[in-house]
Amino acid sequence: MSTQSFKDRNLLAVIGDEDTITGMLLAGIGQIGDHGKKNFLVVDTKTQVSTIEASFEEFTERNDIAILLINQHIAEKIRPTVDKYSQAFPALLEIPSKDHPYDPAKDSILKRVQKLFGE
Amino acid sequence: MEALFFNVSSGFLEGIVRGYKAGILTQNQYSNLTQCETLDDFRMQLSATDYGNFLANEPSPLSTSTISDKATQILVDQFNFIRSNAVEPLSTFLDYITYAYMIDNVILLITGTLHERDTHELLERCHPLGSFDTMPALCVATNVEELYRTVLVETPLAPYFRDCVTASDLDDLNIEIIRNTVYKAYLEDFDRYCSTLGSTTYDVMHRILAFEADRRTINITINSFGTDLNKEARAKLYPTIGRLFPEGNNNLARADDIEQVRLVCDNIGEYKSFFDTSAPSRNGNGHDDLLGDDGDLSVAAQLEDHFFRMEVHLNKLSFLQQFQYAVFYSYFKLKEQEIRSLTWIAECIAQDARDRIQDFIPIF
Amino acid sequence: MSGARENIFPTRMALTNTKLRLKGAQTGHSLLAKKRDALTTRFRAILRKVDEAKRKMGRVMQLASFSLAEVTYATGDISYLVQEQAKTATFRVKARQENVSGVVLPTFEVDRVAGTDFNLTGLGRGGQQVLKSKEVYAKAVETLVELASLQTAFMILDEVIRATNRRVNAIEHVVIPRLENTIKYIMSELDEMDREEFFRLKKVQGKKKRDAQAEDARRAAIAAEADDEEDSAPAFEPPEPTDTNSDLLSSKDADVIF
Repeated sequence: MSTQSFKDRNLLAVIGDEDTITGMLLAGIGQIGDHGKKNFLVVDTKTQVSTIEASFEEFTERNDIAILLINQHIAEKIRPTVDKYSQAFPALLEIPSKDHPYDPAKDSILKRVQKLFGE
Repeated sequence: MEALFFNVSSGFLEGIVRGYKAGILTQNQYSNLTQCETLDDFRMQLSATDYGNFLANEPSPLSTSTISDKATQILVDQFNFIRSNAVEPLSTFLDYITYAYMIDNVILLITGTLHERDTHELLERCHPLGSFDTMPALCVATNVEELYRTVLVETPLAPYFRDCVTASDLDDLNIEIIRNTVYKAYLEDFDRYCSTLGSTTYDVMHRILAFEADRRTINITINSFGTDLNKEARAKLYPTIGRLFPEGNNNLARADDIEQVRLVCDNIGEYKSFFDTSAPSRNGNGHDDLLGDDGDLSVAAQLEDHFFRMEVHLNKLSFLQQFQYAVFYSYFKLKEQEIRSLTWIAECIAQDARDRIQDFIPIF
Repeated sequence: MSGARENIFPTRMALTNTKLRLKGAQTGHSLLAKKRDALTTRFRAILRKVDEAKRKMGRVMQLASFSLAEVTYATGDISYLVQEQAKTATFRVKARQENVSGVVLPTFEVDRVAGTDFNLTGLGRGGQQVLKSKEVYAKAVETLVELASLQTAFMILDEVIRATNRRVNAIEHVVIPRLENTIKYIMSELDEMDREEFFRLKKVQGKKKRDAQAEDARRAAIAAEADDEEDSAPAFEPPEPTDTNSDLLSSKDADVIF
């Protein structure tokens, strides 16, 4: 990780259900760049898994994103991709959604934390 | 005179509506609902009410939006039944009710068009009460100019749009300003129309509409604090049929903070209590640690609550009068409030926010 | 661990060098171990914080989504409007670095500017709820940002600690034993050489003694003979030994430049 790589990362990105996205946008994280390039993806029941994965890839490869937020239940859908992801930047954060309360047991980071505490 | 002939054309429907009204949930049923542990319990409890098993075919887990959608669907079905049996002047009156939703829908489509979205997918987001046959035609428009023309030609909202906004306004103005401008025109027109329906109807409807107008006036004033909406623009959004009009409106137009709004509202007896902060705060103080000092904010938030209560109160009153059309309006407003309350309770259950579950507004 | 040693000639020079290297390795080991301890302390602190923050996030997000429910109660569905009105981010983060025992940890800081994007949302109804929801969500996102920095620190520290651990272990279990083995080897070789030398010297001495005795015996014999022959010895004069040295210094040698 070179020191420069995170200097110009200052955006947050979200993959989430409509309510989560709405809330995050209200907080002011929304950024629509040229050609309508958004930093958020609304996932509903009709969204294809491949679309989610494509967005996930896109957000993790963009170099202006510092933190990627993803609803836990959506992360579940693309779990293999999420588990494979090990870069420090952008930081990947699984967040709860309205209909799916947070389940610490599923969070890969928290799993590691608990393993380390239990040793 | 109108009482004499009312039953000829509308007596049947009034009976129906009063029958529907009996199906509105009671305090007792609400307290049963608030006891539910899960949304499935909630569904069970609801099936014992007039809602029947409207959720029976929904797969578990239920989401709160499904509940609200399905409940709205029932409301829409009832409305359509009445609408299709109605004759003049009730049919026009009912149409007027739908205009409010129509405005929201058209605004939604305008937003989509402004951002060059495919507006077809927006159709399903539109409120079903406000949908009209030619709505898909609006989706054909690809730019704002075209859309404006289509709105004028295809929708019943034409007069409001024609008088209040021009095509270029759609581009320049904030969408909320357009919405409120159009809504103001709608309220005034509705009020004017009600005055042609005979004095009983007008008495009741004017009270409700005047309150609605005042509510919007006060809301717009409070919500525009700290935004780039200037005072002249703000004053233009105030409906002119409220009880605050004209003097209160003028004072509100100059108001800079919530205290001045309170002073204006003190002149109207019913509104005075809205700002009474000494009343025990019903909203749980759970968020105070999160929000810190939000004195003004909570007053304003409670204001909304007071408004809802007042609205329910006024709408209940309209059932006391016979031979008039306001009952139709009131019934649908009450039902809407009931759906909101149901959604709220469901939301509280789903999110385990027990301390706020009593914050709905019971009707009877 | 007898086998692994370095492939060098067992000389005194090599012994000195190897000893120096062992010393270096030991210093390096203790330094790395100290670094590891420092990092681990930090890591544990972060672990605890991550754990707390994750739990806090659950609560905060719940509050936030509840505030959105309040908005929906008051104004209806605003999600589409909000999605369309988003233009530029007013809520950004700034990355800052923090140095823990030579490891650069990034921390994110909230960088929020007042935006006007949704100011008029819910103008006619529910604007206050929208405003409140905005605040609650902003607070929630702040928690998330905090958590993200912790988590990033966690990931990086984890990686660095693993690397450091590998190095500490490598030094402890591979490098140091190998150097020690080398030293032992050199020592034993040198000792062996010493013993050989000693034995050789003994042998030489023994031979010399024997030779000397033989010489003595011969001398004695010769002396006995000489007594008979009178002394011709004074004619024999020893040469002067000192001259060669001074000659070498004074005489100019063509090959020596200075």
